[in-house]
Amino acid sequence: MTEPNALPLLVIGAGIAGLTAALEVAEAGAAVVLVERDPWIGGRVLRSHHYFPKMCPPTCGMEINIKRIERNPRLRVLTSSRVSAAERTAQGWSVTITSDPAFVNSRCTACGECEKTCTTEVADPFNLGLASVKAIRLPHLNAWPRRYVFDRQACGDDEARVIQQACRYGAVDLDAKPTTETLEVGAVVMATGWKPYPLDKLSELGAEHDDVIANVAMERLASPQGPTAGKILRPSNGQPPKRVAFVQCAGSRDVNHLPYCSGVCCMASLKQALYVHEQLPEATVTMYYIDRRAPGRNEDVLLKVAALDGVRLVKGKVGKIDLVDGALSLRVEDVEAGTLCEDAADLVVLATGMMPSVADEESPVFAAKDDDGFLIDDLQARVTVAGVARRPVDVAASVRDATGAAARAWAAAGRRA
Amino acid sequence: MDKLGVFLCSGCGIGDALDLGAVDKAARERGCKTTLTNPCLCAEEGLQAIRDAVASGSLNGILICACSERAKAQAFDGLKSNEIGLYRVSLREQVIWTHPAGHEDTQALAEDLVRMGLARLEKTKPFKLLEDSIADTVLVVGGGRAGLEAARTASALGHPVIVVEKGDRIGGRLAAQVSILPERPPYDQPQPNPMPGLIAAVEADANVTILTAASIAKITGQPGQFEVCVATASAEQTFRAGAIVQATGARPYDARKLAHLGYGASPDVVTSHELEAMLAAGKVERPSDHSTPNRIVFIQCAGSRDPQHLPYCSSECCSQTLRQVAEVRRIAPAVESAVVYKDMRTPGLLEHFYLGVQASSGVMMTRGEVAKVEANGKLSVHLSSSLLGDQAAIDTDLVVLAVGMVPNSADGVAIRALHDARTRAQTSESEAQRKESAELAEKLADHEGTEILNLEYRQGPDLPTLRYGFPDSHFICFPYETRRTGIYAAGTLRAPMDAVEAAEDGCGAALKAVQCVAAARRGEAVHPRAGERTVPDFALQRCTQCKRCTEECPFGTLNEDQKGTPQFYSLRCRRCGICLGSCPERIVSFPDYSVDMVATMIKAMKVPEDFEEKPRIVAMLCENDAYPALDAAAARRVQLNPWVRVIPVRCLGSFNIVWVAEALSRGIDGVILIGCKYGDDYQCHYMHGSELANTRLGNVGETLQRLALEPERVKVVELSHEEFHRISTVLDEYAAELEEMGPNPLKGF
Amino acid sequence: MAPIPVLAPSPALRRMLAERGAGSAARCYQCATCSSVCELAPEAAPFPRRQMLLAQWGLGEQLMGDPALWLCHQCNDCNERCPRDAQPGDVLQILRAAAVEALAFPSFLGRLVGNVRATWPFLVGLPIVFWIVLLAATTGLHVPGVNPELSGLEGPFHYQEFVPHALIYIVYTLTALWVLVAAWVGGRRLWNRLGQHGARHGSFFAKLIPAVLEISTHRRFARCGESSLRRWGHLAVMWGFVGAAVTSGLLIPYLYRDSLFSWLPLPFAHDYPLPLDHPLKWLGNVSAVVLVIGGALLWKSRLGPADRRSGQTTAFDRFFLWTVLAVIATGVLTEALRFLAPPVVACTVYLAHLGIVLTLFVTFPYSKFAHLLYRTLAMVHQLMVDAATQAGVQSKTEEESR
Repeated sequence: MTEPNALPLLVIGAGIAGLTAALEVAEAGAAVVLVERDPWIGGRVLRSHHYFPKMCPPTCGMEINIKRIERNPRLRVLTSSRVSAAERTAQGWSVTITSDPAFVNSRCTACGECEKTCTTEVADPFNLGLASVKAIRLPHLNAWPRRYVFDRQACGDDEARVIQQACRYGAVDLDAKPTTETLEVGAVVMATGWKPYPLDKLSELGAEHDDVIANVAMERLASPQGPTAGKILRPSNGQPPKRVAFVQCAGSRDVNHLPYCSGVCCMASLKQALYVHEQLPEATVTMYYIDRRAPGRNEDVLLKVAALDGVRLVKGKVGKIDLVDGALSLRVEDVEAGTLCEDAADLVVLATGMMPSVADEESPVFAAKDDDGFLIDDLQARVTVAGVARRPVDVAASVRDATGAAARAWAAAGRRA
Repeated sequence: MDKLGVFLCSGCGIGDALDLGAVDKAARERGCKTTLTNPCLCAEEGLQAIRDAVASGSLNGILICACSERAKAQAFDGLKSNEIGLYRVSLREQVIWTHPAGHEDTQALAEDLVRMGLARLEKTKPFKLLEDSIADTVLVVGGGRAGLEAARTASALGHPVIVVEKGDRIGGRLAAQVSILPERPPYDQPQPNPMPGLIAAVEADANVTILTAASIAKITGQPGQFEVCVATASAEQTFRAGAIVQATGARPYDARKLAHLGYGASPDVVTSHELEAMLAAGKVERPSDHSTPNRIVFIQCAGSRDPQHLPYCSSECCSQTLRQVAEVRRIAPAVESAVVYKDMRTPGLLEHFYLGVQASSGVMMTRGEVAKVEANGKLSVHLSSSLLGDQAAIDTDLVVLAVGMVPNSADGVAIRALHDARTRAQTSESEAQRKESAELAEKLADHEGTEILNLEYRQGPDLPTLRYGFPDSHFICFPYETRRTGIYAAGTLRAPMDAVEAAEDGCGAALKAVQCVAAARRGEAVHPRAGERTVPDFALQRCTQCKRCTEECPFGTLNEDQKGTPQFYSLRCRRCGICLGSCPERIVSFPDYSVDMVATMIKAMKVPEDFEEKPRIVAMLCENDAYPALDAAAARRVQLNPWVRVIPVRCLGSFNIVWVAEALSRGIDGVILIGCKYGDDYQCHYMHGSELANTRLGNVGETLQRLALEPERVKVVELSHEEFHRISTVLDEYAAELEEMGPNPLKGF
Repeated sequence: MAPIPVLAPSPALRRMLAERGAGSAARCYQCATCSSVCELAPEAAPFPRRQMLLAQWGLGEQLMGDPALWLCHQCNDCNERCPRDAQPGDVLQILRAAAVEALAFPSFLGRLVGNVRATWPFLVGLPIVFWIVLLAATTGLHVPGVNPELSGLEGPFHYQEFVPHALIYIVYTLTALWVLVAAWVGGRRLWNRLGQHGARHGSFFAKLIPAVLEISTHRRFARCGESSLRRWGHLAVMWGFVGAAVTSGLLIPYLYRDSLFSWLPLPFAHDYPLPLDHPLKWLGNVSAVVLVIGGALLWKSRLGPADRRSGQTTAFDRFFLWTVLAVIATGVLTEALRFLAPPVVACTVYLAHLGIVLTLFVTFPYSKFAHLLYRTLAMVHQLMVDAATQAGVQSKTEEESR
């Protein structure tokens, strides 16, 4: 077999889709450069507690993927980096990659001495700002690369110097500058992923109240690495909720917000209903839905949850959520009963949808966008799209699509066995 | 390996918390000539120091005593090769981060771990890289959309492709559709059927050979070297294939089982597929009298989401019905359509399609259950608990049943079980056994003759199915991982999905096939231990033909000869080591992982004779989940029980009973196995590894009792990757239980 | 067991609704956001989610007697929030029009007004023609000249020289009587159909009072989202009409007081036409002003940019608003022109006024005006249903206590 196309493939985004695209095609023999904005790889899935329908932890598959990366000589991973410029060439693309200043460099052993001397705390991005962390820290327990990150702006120069001196390995570099490099690549896989639909656009659903949280926040509450060490508590008073309500299609399937269905929220809420039921068996759980979307064998999960004591599934979209003397009150028509209800809850989880990360930003690598901001494959331009950047799907589908997108990109780059 | 070097890192506080001199001494006591202590082994300076030492002492075994093997992996792995073994002792995570500094027990732990590491290296053997002649050809079984997309993709990636289609033309079920669900923006109307183009493209592709009216007579061999025998009308032909994509699709659920929905009672109750045939012919009419109906009622979930029929959701029916509503509207605008659904499932961007069709067709829709369809003279659909009333009926001229999909799969395991049962029904000694086997055979009779791939595999002729007959992956995050290496299920065969997803699935499966060929060529394992280069060696002269390995291998790696001696196919192997755990004769060994090796590690531990102060516990942790959980706990500086000695294992399934014997006979007080959850939602990457370990322990129970040992001294605990917060309690509780039981009576013998 | 009701979707009704702008019901996916944001929906029978479904299916029987159509004040909170932009508020408004037409007696008049988009020239023209013919036949369309004897305050001439009061009273009394009959029949029809939507309890008149109170204050309307503009407009128009009605109502006895109330000591001197400072004149003028203000407000809320909040305005609404405004305009003009213009001009306007008033009168039971009656009935019905439920609850609790 002759050598594959000499030019590497570029994969943008190291969430589950980008990671998969990069790994699958690299294991097939292609040279790949994987570029990730964050200082760690794994993206959104690592912020989930469990996957449906198996209720297994995302870190488990990530463990395998990390070993795959470490064993693979053809895959190069650039974290804290983004594509800052790109232009089409005869062979593919010529891209400029800009990396953030490496205030902590690769000499870091993650020993934690620096953290001890750091007093400044910042909102923890890994926990969606629900907790605070040291300005210099390991981003999270399974972070790869296993290296500390330093929020330099947050620290005064004096403290920064103290932190620098605390490192015995010269890993803290206060004078680090952004670096850029230009690469010739054969094709590009866009796997820029998604972001949660912003709560502040859902004021009609009481998003301003402490105990009205997004489903992504619920994942953090349930996670042992989360702000509550895995305990599901009301943000307002730190007490376990007695009545939990899940409001489906919060901003999805709605021409006033996201006109499409985000594809995962029903299953996510069913999964989170299980979190609640397992942790707080006494608590009642009510899920308000338009349609219960549990495709394929996810139906099993729907049946399992619906059969649980204390769990109610109500057809009817919640119209208003107000704070009525201390308790949240949800106004909804129980469509099956044909009556209007004012249901009370201590904790309301808004099943907010997914919007493409690049929906409202310009990406230098050209890929056509549809009206919702999802990117579209363009084989002529040698750009394929993977995961939720392309359409709202769950993890399994995202991984499937990523594998296909990687294949098409490799073919477009002219790989010949 | 015989020339070993021990490299002690004093960085990350290891030097401060431990007396490394004493550790060094312990290493030398075990006969290790070369030892070296360095303030930061992982830095380039440290690595260079190691390289120099290896060169000067011409070492073939490197023991890195620093951080966990999960840290700085790429830095240290560069040092090893098939000639030079490398093992890492986690002095940081397992010792100083999780135990009090300067304490004698902490020191003892460190020294034990180094001894065990040396023991492991001593038993590590150099190995040769696999070299085989590998075929590039990708075999695609099934010429539907998934299959053809797979063929097109594999060909585009430069691989010869052979498509085997049982029908007499390619294109599959989708080719018969008048249109398909939207694949491109604005996603609000049906799109022209792409199959003609796809078929033309594949037929025009010189790299693709298409065999229609063909079936697979036999597949032998292994990935990279499959010998495929295809039977066509004319003749049989044999060729080599490197990997296989099975895309045999799905068929509509048999509507004759849906009498309560009026199918069979009236010719005007048709399935969605029968309607599709009309639409494709450009007409909308009542089969009974060929008149144009005034009203059509579509009934969703006809046989799906129904425990009596298909318990799962067939995923595409809701959108397909909307598409048919749109086509009916286009062909016969006067016809009014009504849809009765349980839930409208138009996920993702298909929501645009839902709205688009509603707005443009004025379709009448209601949620509801269909109690029955009455077909005496006129058709009447009886709704219960619908939005239009608890009880309501609607008269109609035509009823369309949106029937679900049934995978065209064959359950290899069941087929094998059927054949075994048949044989046992003849050969078993006891009448009872023969009767039991006969009954089992009766139960499995439906699987007779369902073979598709006809694999010559000991574990059956086809892919094992996961659930409801779909040979899907058991992973969420690795959807292509079937239990037969190099064979990838794609499309509606794998799981219920629509045509757009099936196309994507075909592309993905093609890349997996190409990848499998490439890995075979490199002599490397595929997922999950991708890149692994060692394979187990079977010392067959000691084999007793107990067949445990051939039965327990999750991937059907092993065949048997007549006598029942295992035949190992290295390219099928996924390196989990379950065979090594299953073998009572301990004849299975990897060069870098074997029964003997772990036994020697256990031997290498120092076991104090006075229990009261110093009990000893061996904890075997699953490398992928429990072990990382321990690292995470360590990163949080969680304090762990000082009596525990951790041995990482590839999978609890590789746990061999002899290790228990070894441990207990040496006076070790207990053995705890910590691995993945098992049961319905098992998390083991090798399916049932942890479950197997549990069964094996069950079997060892009475043996222990005979030795006057409590069976509870050995136990399995389930712990998943993210449960780092549980690990210290698990160990402490177990230690407490042992304290209850008192010291191992065999101590000091 | 009761026979299962057979649904009879009517393609005709669906087509009619679509033509009149209610086709958006097809977009509805029954999420019920609309019902849950509606401040007026009764808890036991929320709307408009269910009505959207019935409209989508064209199930007219269920719709035409549905109190929800009349309880809705079309604040369009639902329009604002509908995730499918199915415009429930507009759909209900169009259903109301359809219901007025369906309830109409005789039905052809209902259809005539229902299809006003096409028929409005007749509706406006015929009454004017009628007056011309009538005058030609009686007075020979004699236009009075300027009468120098009249004082400044009285104005230069008297309209009664152009149209004798007797004619006016005969014509309008007869129409009024006719309108009462038609309204009565329509009202009965609705009342019976309402009966199929929930059992009632208590007496009609007992509930009429709170209903009228509610209507006179528009308290419920106030609860609706942000559309207070429409509330005040609606309130003003209503009171304007009441005032106008009272004025014309009082004029009759006033004019014939000598014969009727000679025994009554009445304050003002009997002179006609009424001097500008006369209280009745005042009442009339104030009502007119209030009407103008209300009309303008409604106009603003309706004819502003047709966003979802304002909803769409159908020919049916527009016709009603136009006639109201035309009545006011011509009325005021008539009054003014007597002083400012030559009699011939004034009289022409006066003729138009009489005509448009007649249009308003005749179309009362078939135009949007009818909702004054139908909404009142629906409110009474709802109050009686609520009473029934309460009674039911009470009896239950009593049973339990026993």
